[in-house]
Amino acid sequence: MKRGARWALYALLALAALTFIYPFLWMAASTFKPAGDVGTLALIPTDVTLDNYRTMWSRAPFGRALLNSVLVATTITASVLVFGSITAYAMARLTFPGRRALNLATMAVLLVPGQLTLIPLYTLIVQLGWIDSYAALIVPYLFNATAILMLRQFFLQIPQSLIDSARMDGMSELRILFTIFWPLARPALAIVAIFTFMGSWNEVLWPLLVVRDQQIMTLPQLLTVFALGGGAGTLGVSLAAAMVLVVPVVVAYMFLQRYFIESMAGAGVKG
Amino acid sequence: MPSVTFDHVRKQFGDVTIVEDFNLHVPDGELLVLVGGSGSGKSTLLRMVAGLDAVSSGTIRIDDRDITHLAPRDRDVAMVFQDYALYPHLTVRENLSLGLTLRKVPKPEIARRVSWAGGMLGLDALLDRKPKQLSGGQRQRVAMGRAMVREPLVFLFDEPLSNLDAGLRAQMRIEIGGLQRRLSTTTIYVTHDQVEAMTLGDRIVVLANGQIQQVGRPIELYRSPINRFVAGFIGTPPMNFIEGRLDGDAGVAFVADGVRLALGGDRMPASSSAPVTLGIRPEDIVLVSGALGADESAGARLTGKVVLVERLGGTSHVHFDVGSHRLMAAVSHETLPAVDVMIEVSVPSARVHLFGADGIALARGV
Repeated sequence: MKRGARWALYALLALAALTFIYPFLWMAASTFKPAGDVGTLALIPTDVTLDNYRTMWSRAPFGRALLNSVLVATTITASVLVFGSITAYAMARLTFPGRRALNLATMAVLLVPGQLTLIPLYTLIVQLGWIDSYAALIVPYLFNATAILMLRQFFLQIPQSLIDSARMDGMSELRILFTIFWPLARPALAIVAIFTFMGSWNEVLWPLLVVRDQQIMTLPQLLTVFALGGGAGTLGVSLAAAMVLVVPVVVAYMFLQRYFIESMAGAGVKG
Repeated sequence: MPSVTFDHVRKQFGDVTIVEDFNLHVPDGELLVLVGGSGSGKSTLLRMVAGLDAVSSGTIRIDDRDITHLAPRDRDVAMVFQDYALYPHLTVRENLSLGLTLRKVPKPEIARRVSWAGGMLGLDALLDRKPKQLSGGQRQRVAMGRAMVREPLVFLFDEPLSNLDAGLRAQMRIEIGGLQRRLSTTTIYVTHDQVEAMTLGDRIVVLANGQIQQVGRPIELYRSPINRFVAGFIGTPPMNFIEGRLDGDAGVAFVADGVRLALGGDRMPASSSAPVTLGIRPEDIVLVSGALGADESAGARLTGKVVLVERLGGTSHVHFDVGSHRLMAAVSHETLPAVDVMIEVSVPSARVHLFGADGIALARGV
């Protein structure tokens, strides 16, 4: 490629990158601007202030909501990984009556849209008396069919001889799963962890249905209630709340992105 | 001292019988080779000893202990797998010691055994590497080391050399043989390669369709194959076969299209109407050059036309047609016949094998 053409291409790509990153950078910068400057398009605040964060923190229990979100998302992610991989291991590597039926049933679950189960699930939670409790936020998400099927697919590729060898070495099936399969399945586990964590972290609809107590609310729920309910007052405060929501996900992604990219790339070449 | 006994062992997957009424005693310290083609049931037998496949009926004993239904870890056997089955995320040292750690062997004892096996297999410098950083031969050694440190009653090898290139395979074959003799641990070794079987085995079991065809020392299988399958399976290059019948008019002779071979003796091993297969090993066929030798009676003569000569250096393979039959002779002559030339070969009648219509070897009345 000619030098000029290459520069033109780079310029184009840079422009495209900018259109994606700009809104985010603008949001991040605006949270540090004084109320009067928030409306400008500038990326660098002239006067740096933490007022937006202070206001946000004082008006609603965001600290508590952050903890709630962390508790809910990590519990769900840990459960999906542990129980999901146990189920996936059984489905991929053990023989038992009904294995095929279990595979089909798990796949069938994927075909049911979440909205369809929303009402019955809500009724169930009401009947159980779980409204305004962590159980309502956590229990329905402890198992995940997508995660099971993804892990199962990955577990199928691990050679049988490793299992045989581990059995002869004296390992139990659970031990084989956690000491042999887990280290080998790190990319698959990471991608399941990221998707589960992000899905749970960003979930708004379900918490809105089952939680009304501000002390139990997760961050996105409180944020929605706060911003839409007019509690924020100014745009700067709303944006500060949005930053609090997005930063943990970005941090988690930075830690796990190697696996994320690996598993995305690996999906194309493994056969 | 550990011996392994198979008593009416059968294995069935659904309607398919993989192993049929298998009876065998492997005495202490023996290296027994199970050899056969794919689907012969050899690996299944090994996996049943290891406890990785369930036995459908019958019993397997180590000494007097019935291990048929024990969990793999309780059998005190160690296995070397075809693809090595090393844990990729652990170092060589961890791979070697894991089985011992799980059995709660004291740490100093684990260290002693790991360094003993490492020294014996030349792995000392590699102990802190991951399997990915090892060559195929080194991985194979680690796999053997992992079995050795367990100090099991019985070693099981499942085609351990089939993933190696030819040169390395020959070298590792010698190492395995040497190692087994030094440790004198009872060993069952599965392979599809009859050269491995011949060179390693104290005894060989030839399997086909889940049934024992013949059990014996390598040289017995080579000299006196019990049926046509064993005759064709054992020995490289493989035995020549000619379909024909016997004729007893003027001494016993084998007759086929374009072939008449005097076999000597006068007792017919089969009636003259029955189809008979003659087998002769390529290395037993002697090329007769020029004038006939003095001892003509030692071998019957055949005349054929050379179609191909493969020069392998030491020995050469001469393919020639006799009537409608393609035969091969393995010869070590300096001067080889040219293609399309007529040659005369001598077939020592004592080295000829005869098989009946059912493939079973016929007793020779010589």
